Amino acid sequence: MRILIAEDDKETAGFVERGLGELGHNVVVARDGEDALHLGLTEQFDLLVLDRMMPGLDGLSVLKRLRTADITTPALMLTALGRIEDRVAGLDAGADDYLVKPFAFSELAARVHALGRRSAPQAVATRLNTPSLEMDLLAREVRRDGALVLLQPKEFRLLEELMRHAGEFVTRTMLLERVWDFHFDPQTKIVETHISRLRTKLNEGGLPDLIETERGVGYRIRAA
Amino acid sequence: MKTLVNSAAYRIAFASSLAFALATLLIGIAVFYAAHVAFARQMDANIEQASSAITAELYDEGMRGVMDAVRGRESGGPDALGYAVFASTGKRVAGALDTPMPPLGWHDIVFRDPREGPDRARARTVGLPGGYRLTVAADKESLEQIDATILTIFGIAFIVVLCIGVAGALILGAYLRRRLARIETTAGAIAGGDLSRRMIVGPHDDEFDRVAASLNAMLDRIVGLIANLRQVTSDLAHDLRTPLMRLRNRLEALHEPAPDDQWAVRIDDAVDNADDVLRLFDAILRISELEEGSLRRNFGPVDLETLVTDIAESHEPLAEDAGKRLSVRIDAPARVEGDRELLAQALINLIENALRHTPEGSAIVIGIGHEGGRPAVYVADTGPGIPADQRDRVVQRFVRLETSRSTPGHGLGLSLVSAIAAAHRARLALRDRAPGLEAVIFFPEETL
Repeated sequence: MRILIAEDDKETAGFVERGLGELGHNVVVARDGEDALHLGLTEQFDLLVLDRMMPGLDGLSVLKRLRTADITTPALMLTALGRIEDRVAGLDAGADDYLVKPFAFSELAARVHALGRRSAPQAVATRLNTPSLEMDLLAREVRRDGALVLLQPKEFRLLEELMRHAGEFVTRTMLLERVWDFHFDPQTKIVETHISRLRTKLNEGGLPDLIETERGVGYRIRAA
Repeated sequence: MKTLVNSAAYRIAFASSLAFALATLLIGIAVFYAAHVAFARQMDANIEQASSAITAELYDEGMRGVMDAVRGRESGGPDALGYAVFASTGKRVAGALDTPMPPLGWHDIVFRDPREGPDRARARTVGLPGGYRLTVAADKESLEQIDATILTIFGIAFIVVLCIGVAGALILGAYLRRRLARIETTAGAIAGGDLSRRMIVGPHDDEFDRVAASLNAMLDRIVGLIANLRQVTSDLAHDLRTPLMRLRNRLEALHEPAPDDQWAVRIDDAVDNADDVLRLFDAILRISELEEGSLRRNFGPVDLETLVTDIAESHEPLAEDAGKRLSVRIDAPARVEGDRELLAQALINLIENALRHTPEGSAIVIGIGHEGGRPAVYVADTGPGIPADQRDRVVQRFVRLETSRSTPGHGLGLSLVSAIAAAHRARLALRDRAPGLEAVIFFPEETL
C-alpha cells in the first residue's frame, strides 16, 4: 500500500515509517499540514495517516479540505488527546478511524490493514466465507464444514469482524470498538472470554483451531 | 424538646435568662424582708411612743391620768393602736382592747376585734404601780397587707421576667442556631464532596462572619491543594505515557525474530507489564477528564435497559467462568441523560469488582430501579461486602482494602465509577445488603 503519513514529531514519524516499511508498505512522510495537503491533492495514496495536531494546518483541516476536494482515501487520525470530546471531533471531520497517541505499533499496523482493505470497492457482503467457515449475515447462520454452529449475538458479531478481516490481525481494541461500541478500554476480559467461547463452539468435536491469537497484538482467522 | 436540650445555643440562652430570673428573685426576697423589717420597727416605735406617753401621765396624775389618757386616745378618732389597762387580778379596767392579760414585755397576741373576730396584734405590756398593767397593741393587718402587696408585685415581676427570659432565650437560641446551621449545612455539603460550596459571609463582620470567612479561606486552600495533587497526578501520567509506549514498542519489535520460545514469552510478559501501567495511566487521565466536568456537552439520552442488558450479556460468560451467576433485574425502564460509554465503563467496573471480591458460587445482580423518584442502576452481590467504616474510603483513588495489594487491580475502579457518576450529576452509594454489597448509582430526577 502507498501510505501518506503527516506527522510533525520526527521520532513518531520515523518509527511509523520504519515499521510500516518493514511490513512492505510504501510510506511517504509529510512534516507539516501544508505539505500533507499538497501531497494529498496531487498524488494517489491508498491510506492517509494524519496527526491531528501539527504546526500551521492541523490534521483536521487537512482532512476537511481533502474531503471537500472529493478525495475519499481512507484516513486514520492520530491524536495526542485521548479525550472523549476529541474522538467525536475527529470522526466528524471525516476520519475513518482514529488512534490515540502514544499507540502500540501493532495497533497501528492492524488498523492500517483494516482501512487499506476498505479502499478497494466493496460490494455489500451478505455472505462471508473462508475454506472451512461460511457465514450468512442475513440469516445470521454460521456453518463449519457444513455443520451449523449456534452462536450468541456477541459471538456472531465477533466472528463477523474476524471474517471481514480474514487473514489479518484484528486487535482487542478494534473488537471492543466494533463489537461492543466501546471506545475505551473497559479493563475487563470480555474480548478474551468471548473469543474463548467462540473458539470452543467453532472447534466442537476436536476440529482444528481456526482463530489464531498473537499475544499483545490480537486475533486472526485464517483466510485459507 | 430534644433539640432544645441538645442545642448549645439554647442551653446558653436558657442558662442566661434563668440566671437573670434568679437574680430578680433574690432582689425580690431582699426587698421583701427589708420592707417587712422596716415596717415592723415602725410599728414597734409607734407602740413604744404611745406606751411611754401614757405612762408619762402616771407621774402627773397617777392611775387616773393613765385611764384618762387611754380613754382620750380611744375616743380621739380612729387610731391604729389598741389599749387596755388590767388590774392585778387580770381584769381589764380600762381600754377597748379585748384580750386576756398578756405577760410583761413584747409579745404577739390575739385580741377580739369587734368587727372581724379574733385577730393578731403586736403588743407591749408594762407594769404600773399597784399591780396594774398597761398593754398597747397594734393590729398586724396593715403589716400583713404591706407584705402581701410587696409579694404580689414581685411575684408578677418575677413571672414577667421569666416570660421575657424564656422568649428571649428562644429567640436568641433560634438566632444562634440559624447562623450555625448555615455553616453546618455548607460544611456538610463540602464534606459530602461538593468542594465548590462556600460559607455565606454576612455584612456585619461579626464573630460568625469572621468564622465563615476563615473557613472559606481554609477551603480555598484545600481546593488549591487538591487541584494541585490532581494536576501533578495527571501530568505525571500524561508525560510518562509516551516514553513508556516507546519502551513497549521497542520490546514488541524485539519479538519479531525471537531467538527462542522462552525469549518470546519473556518479551510478551514485559509488554503485558507495560500495558498494565499504560492502562493505569489511562484511568488516571480519564478520571481527570471527568472531574473537569466539560463532558456534558456530548451527553445524550441513554436507555439504561439496553445498556444493562448488553453489559450483562457480555459479562455472563466471565461470571460463569469464575463460577458465579450474573443476572439482570429490570424493575422499571429508565432513560437518563448521559454518555453511554462512560455509563458502560462504570457498570463494568462495578461488575468486575463484584466478580473479583466474591467467593465462588456467589450471585451478582445488575438491575435498574427507582428510589425516591430517582432512576438508579445497581450491581449487587452476595459476597462479604465492605465494612461500613471503609465504604467512604474505597471510593478514593488508589485505595485498596487488602493492604498486601496482592490481587490485580490498581484501586482506581470505584473512584472512576464515582467520577463518572458525578459527571452525570448522579451519586454512587455503597450499601450493605446483609450479606453482600450493593453499589447503586442514583441519577438526578430531572434526567427522567
